[in-house]
Amino acid sequence: MENTLSPSKAHEESVSFGVDSRKMGVWVLIASEAVFFSGLLINYMVNRGQSTSGPLPQNTLDIPLTGVNTFLLLSSSLTMVLSLNAAHQGNIRNSRLWLIATAVLGLGFLTGQAYEFTHLYHIGATLNSNLFGSTFFTLTGFHGAHVTAGVVWIGFVLTRLFRRNPDPEVPLKIEMVGLYWHFVDLIWIIIFTIVYLL
Amino acid sequence: MDDKLDQELAKENHPSYTTRWQEYVGVFVVLVVLTAIEVGVTYLPVPRLPVLLPIAIAKAALVALFYMHLKSDRRVFSALFFFGLLAGIGLIISMLLLFGPPLIDLKSYG
Repeated sequence: MENTLSPSKAHEESVSFGVDSRKMGVWVLIASEAVFFSGLLINYMVNRGQSTSGPLPQNTLDIPLTGVNTFLLLSSSLTMVLSLNAAHQGNIRNSRLWLIATAVLGLGFLTGQAYEFTHLYHIGATLNSNLFGSTFFTLTGFHGAHVTAGVVWIGFVLTRLFRRNPDPEVPLKIEMVGLYWHFVDLIWIIIFTIVYLL
Repeated sequence: MDDKLDQELAKENHPSYTTRWQEYVGVFVVLVVLTAIEVGVTYLPVPRLPVLLPIAIAKAALVALFYMHLKSDRRVFSALFFFGLLAGIGLIISMLLLFGPPLIDLKSYG
């Protein structure tokens, strides 16, 4: 049946600790990314309020716009997990649709970020304007780069879903990109609170 | 032997947790409500840190437990996640101690 997926036959792939090595690899990536973003976050937190000149966060950051952006990213996490749920049930059509929705919402988030960055640039907040500018753009820029990489990864997984003979490992592949995507969302939850709300 | 391995790996790729879309939508609604509360708090004359930080931690926990399936998946993944989390928290604490505001005022000791 064209619209169904058979259970994943991953027995030819290597196994670590009784789980698929590729899934294990994604979790190792997530653990390292947690340390990476912790460094960027503490860099922002320690230097917060230390700018002697230039634009400051209380005068430049748009909380309502970023709130909408946060809603887009949270929605994309929902659509991602619904795509995985559909894949586990063998419903390739729904899985495909939810995954496309995830990519669209991710692109919406990136559009919002691009708009915000452009606005900040026009009011003088740039990467080298002051401490706030450098720490803010480093932190949110790296996060945006991770979202971009996630959208590209989703695109690759989508090509598997549009094949005439569905890849039987699609549920695992969706799960792997999903884990990465949810972690990127989780990081944004922390960034939104520390950078924009506190 | 191969059939048994197939079954084990099939279980890994399809954990035996209940995957209902209602649960995922429910978590999403809670996340949106918490986010709205967070934004609303910024407009109120209340201390932000003791209110916003627990909410952010709760939201992150919901994403990790339900969307990343830490609640129902193999323990090794939780161990990996918490290892990274603890390393990150350790980094933050050490940097705060090194470069953050002083915990004690040495000048008061003459």
